[in-house]
Amino acid sequence: MEIKNKIDILIAKFLSGQISTKEANELNIWLNEYKENRSYFNQMLNIWQVANPAFNPEEINLLNAEAKVIRKVERGRFLKSPVLIWWQRIAAVLILPIILLGAYLLNNDTSFIAKETYQEVVSPLGTRSKVFLPDGSMVFLNSGSKIKYPVNFRSGARKVSLTGEAYFEVKSDINNPFIVKTSRLKVEATGTIFNVEEFLTDTIAAITLVEGVVGVTINGKKTISMAPNQRISLNKQTNKYQLTQTDSYKWYAWKDGVLAFRDDRLDYVFKKIGLMYNVDISVEDSQIASQIYRATFDGESLDEIFKLLQISAPIRYVHAPRVMTPSGEFSKEKIRVYRK
Amino acid sequence: MISEHDLLLELKSGNKEAFSLLFRNYYKDLVLFAGNFLPNQTLCEDIVQSVFLKLWEGREVIKIERSLKSFLLRSVQNSCLDELRHVKIVRGHEGMMKDFHFLEALDTEEYVLYSDLQQHLNDALNKLPPNCMEAFLLNRFEGFKYKEIAQRLNVSERTVEVRIGKAINLLRKHLKEFLKILLLFFSI
Repeated sequence: MEIKNKIDILIAKFLSGQISTKEANELNIWLNEYKENRSYFNQMLNIWQVANPAFNPEEINLLNAEAKVIRKVERGRFLKSPVLIWWQRIAAVLILPIILLGAYLLNNDTSFIAKETYQEVVSPLGTRSKVFLPDGSMVFLNSGSKIKYPVNFRSGARKVSLTGEAYFEVKSDINNPFIVKTSRLKVEATGTIFNVEEFLTDTIAAITLVEGVVGVTINGKKTISMAPNQRISLNKQTNKYQLTQTDSYKWYAWKDGVLAFRDDRLDYVFKKIGLMYNVDISVEDSQIASQIYRATFDGESLDEIFKLLQISAPIRYVHAPRVMTPSGEFSKEKIRVYRK
Repeated sequence: MISEHDLLLELKSGNKEAFSLLFRNYYKDLVLFAGNFLPNQTLCEDIVQSVFLKLWEGREVIKIERSLKSFLLRSVQNSCLDELRHVKIVRGHEGMMKDFHFLEALDTEEYVLYSDLQQHLNDALNKLPPNCMEAFLLNRFEGFKYKEIAQRLNVSERTVEVRIGKAINLLRKHLKEFLKILLLFFSI
């Protein structure tokens, strides 16, 4: 009830043109949350507009207008654009492809014939990589992630595909939008900073905007524009997404080797630690898993992190010994976490 | 009474009277709708007239997927937005840009026209609590800013915000059933 009231006030302020930028943002976020919110808003807008139309309905002269339109219908020719005569049409049809081909060749010069060559960069588990793209944009690639991009960007678009997580500092170029594609999400930007995460095994795919503006397309359908310090997270199982305000640093701190947790569940904390140090951490107690935790780790070793965690949370942990797999490799290090 | 569906069939076969009837049914409401985008009445009338001329010209090929109302509203809306882009009003003004985004997403299928809603709206207005109605009317009809209303009524600005917010919420509640009935009525 309280929230509904607040939204009504925001809508009314918007409609009467007295909304502040901050409130407009708030309203925008609410509108993007659910389809029902938009239709609720549309009904209000509808009532608002009809309640006091821009012109006096009595002053619209229907008969005059009708006579005018019927006159044009009778004459049969009312289109604004003049009708081309037959040879002009033929010329137009012939010339257009020539112009298009010319423009295409000019724009693409050498890359026109050569097939696109791609570069692929993989950041193995437990490491992070820094990649410079051909246009000068900078990418930090998180542990267990892969990025693919053409050796030369074509003009018109700078397309990059990603699995896993990466942080992008995009070089500004309005004419050639920068596009990052994952299996479910597409981000389009010109010169901005943002973080994208979509690991194949995770249920949540998300984009966090640090600076500038981006357009995000979800599942190839809905496009949403984001403002700095906003985060879109998509649940890949339910296909529901959320747009929320956030402290963006927390989501890209990994690039500096920092793990920042702000009121996060412990199972999430362990997942991120596991990703950074390439260990499998399993939480064996559901109550512990859902506990909320707040901490920042900056360059500590895995042992140090666990010691710190033990002090502040009621946990104990056991290292599982590494075993030889049939293929002759050692298994990943495994840590099990229990309640103390 | 002839149904809109039959009128459309007649229109397709080139019946000018069917065209006239449709024109008379929708003209005023569409001009008022255009007025939400462009404050110039002559321009709005021109836009609506050319939408109708296009309807006539394309009568044999035009596919109306939902209702005629929705089709006409969408055409008018698009023409208005084109016009706005053309005159670059949109680019020049940040605030306008915001409005523009909201309006672009307007669902024309659900939109209820002036002549359908007007009568019921007056009834609904009369059902509002007096202080909500007063604040709403001062703002919407007299064009007073929240601050001015607050001074006039000798209450805080926050109170004015709450009252106007409540007023449009109540109007929506009173009209909700009616909005639904119209939806059924308009779908062919």
